[in-house]
Amino acid sequence: MKLESALRPPAGGPGPGGAGRSPEEPEPSAEKRFLRHGMMPHMLCPGCGHGIVFEAMLRALAGRYESLDEVAFVAGIGCSSRVVGYVDACTLHTTHGRPLTFATGLKLARPELTVVVVTGDGDGLSIGGNHLIHAARRNVDLTCVLFNNEIYGMTGGQLAPTTITGAYTSTSPAGNAESPFDAARLVEAAGATFVARAQSYRPRDFEELFLRALDHKGFSFVEVMTDCTEYFGRTNRLGNGADLLFSQARMEPEIDADLAGRPTLKQLAAKPVRPVLEMGVLHESNRGTLEEAMHLLGARS
Amino acid sequence: MRAGRAGREPVPGGAQASPPSGNLVVAGVGGQGVILASNLISQVLLDAGYDVKKSEVHGMSQRGGTVVSHVRFGPEVHSVMLEPGAADWIVAFEWEEGLRALSYLKPDGVALVSTERRIPPAAMLDHRDLTLDYAGLGEVPPGVVAVDTFAVAGDAAAAAPVVAQTVLIGALSRLLAFSSESWQEAIALWVPPKALAANLTAFERGRALFTDAGAAGAAATAPHGASAAGASSGGGALDGAALSPEGALAGLVPTLRIERSWCKGCEICVAVCPERCLVLDNLDVAVLAHPQRCTGCELCAWLCPDLAIDVGLVRAAGLAGRPS
Ligand SMILES: Cc1ncc(C[n+]2csc(CCOP(=O)(O)OP(=O)(O)O)c2C)c(N)n1
Ligand code: SF4
Ligand SMILES: [Mg+2]
Repeated sequence: MKLESALRPPAGGPGPGGAGRSPEEPEPSAEKRFLRHGMMPHMLCPGCGHGIVFEAMLRALAGRYESLDEVAFVAGIGCSSRVVGYVDACTLHTTHGRPLTFATGLKLARPELTVVVVTGDGDGLSIGGNHLIHAARRNVDLTCVLFNNEIYGMTGGQLAPTTITGAYTSTSPAGNAESPFDAARLVEAAGATFVARAQSYRPRDFEELFLRALDHKGFSFVEVMTDCTEYFGRTNRLGNGADLLFSQARMEPEIDADLAGRPTLKQLAAKPVRPVLEMGVLHESNRGTLEEAMHLLGARS
Repeated sequence: MRAGRAGREPVPGGAQASPPSGNLVVAGVGGQGVILASNLISQVLLDAGYDVKKSEVHGMSQRGGTVVSHVRFGPEVHSVMLEPGAADWIVAFEWEEGLRALSYLKPDGVALVSTERRIPPAAMLDHRDLTLDYAGLGEVPPGVVAVDTFAVAGDAAAAAPVVAQTVLIGALSRLLAFSSESWQEAIALWVPPKALAANLTAFERGRALFTDAGAAGAAATAPHGASAAGASSGGGALDGAALSPEGALAGLVPTLRIERSWCKGCEICVAVCPERCLVLDNLDVAVLAHPQRCTGCELCAWLCPDLAIDVGLVRAAGLAGRPS
């Protein structure tokens, strides 16, 4: 029997999109022109906070750039890093943990480009932790946005160096015994000249911080807290995408009370509590960039 | 190739009560329970006293990517990996993954392949017609058995579609003919307690595929049992009360543009809309159920992870039923 004849899938798949639109609908918003439409819908899970941050980045850029021909996005590996595949700019999807090294090379070779690195907490702080502190130390003029969902989303919800104490992950089934990194403070200590922290819950604030980071000359770092619904949310029984989003807004004691009401958390003493983190610009200073030290700017332009 | 029908088929390749050694490939995509299934199969083999080695590849598993596990057993097994053409049995939970794994099959091997198809995210761009042609792939080896796992599982998969694949474990238990109890014990050990009953039912229905004459026939055309969340509806006292003053002055009203094929139904917009304008329809896609209430605040658009919502102003006359 020929294979093709057996390959008819069951009928009844969803029809082409677009049914049920209102006769008059608004134009797509400006940031949509920066999408690689052929790649959409994106591969993130339902409710994944990375999508919110990604759109906020595009929205911020849409207010500033006509086209993204002079903007390069460089990413490592992870669900967070994957978002650069959807933006119609110069994009580099590199190796796990190494986007900052590629970005440094790119910036030194093409100093006129605006270089944005997208990384995750696993990509940027585990395997790429050393590259992160050294990029900060060198003060290369680029912007690094670290999507911190406190877990390795892409590979199945393993413990990350940002996972809060007590949280359940696929590699901490009895609750995380370790303490997490404070990514923003780590990078500040390593020499970054602009450090900020934002949340997917407040995408407009993130936009503003992202633009300020782009404007900053030197290594600028924005840590943005996002939610992995599929692993962090599910494993810790914190609810769906909306529940997780709202939990970013609440204060610690309230979350405490909420969690206590859920019988599914085995050890109440070790239950994960989302920490109350300082948001906004955490550090801003000025010193010479690596490009200046290497006299690249004069030689090029 | 044959389509699996309850009670119609002899055991392909013959039942092997205690083979001296053997090789299996379990294949599928992320979320289908491939790893769990290979754990379970290894458990049966370990309990039967074999040396068992197992490997797994699941790098992109969360992204609907391939998950493959090799299981080897015998008196003593050294390498965990199989060479192409070395598998006695293939169990594939997804049709394309079954095709991909076929190169591992021995000429006289048996592949149990589910007809379930998962279109990878990159290929489903616009939720288009899912029919694809695979011309030129040629003849399929004789030992390939296509099983409509959903149809065979029937109501056992109603609550959790993933249970349907346990049908293939049931079918495999006829080929690797250790006692039914040893398979059931392994299932009880590996499957979460709340899903145990459904899995055991699916297992029995899979077992019935090959020998039990007179068992309920498997309907090849049975729907895949996707349960759709009902769209809530009903107007409220707020209808028409919340137009933006500026827009109303200019004869414009806020409304949404929802890219239906991008929406994944996460319900964030439903939860964050202060006016409770949005609901999920019966395909789990967000719809603006109460356009009159929309104030154009844009919260839904900002917090939509799928980039699926745009908010803008349109002429009020363009929208039926709107106060203008
Ligand atoms: C060298 C190497 N080691 C390990 C992996 C597997 N891997 C892929 S993504 C990932 C973790 C990503 O975590 P994070 O950066 O937090 O991204 P998220 O998916 O959470 O957004 C790992 C360990 C790999 N791809 N390459
Ligand atoms: S696995 Fe987690 S981080 Fe990755 S797309 Fe899904 S929800 Fe997002
Ligand atoms: Mg992460």
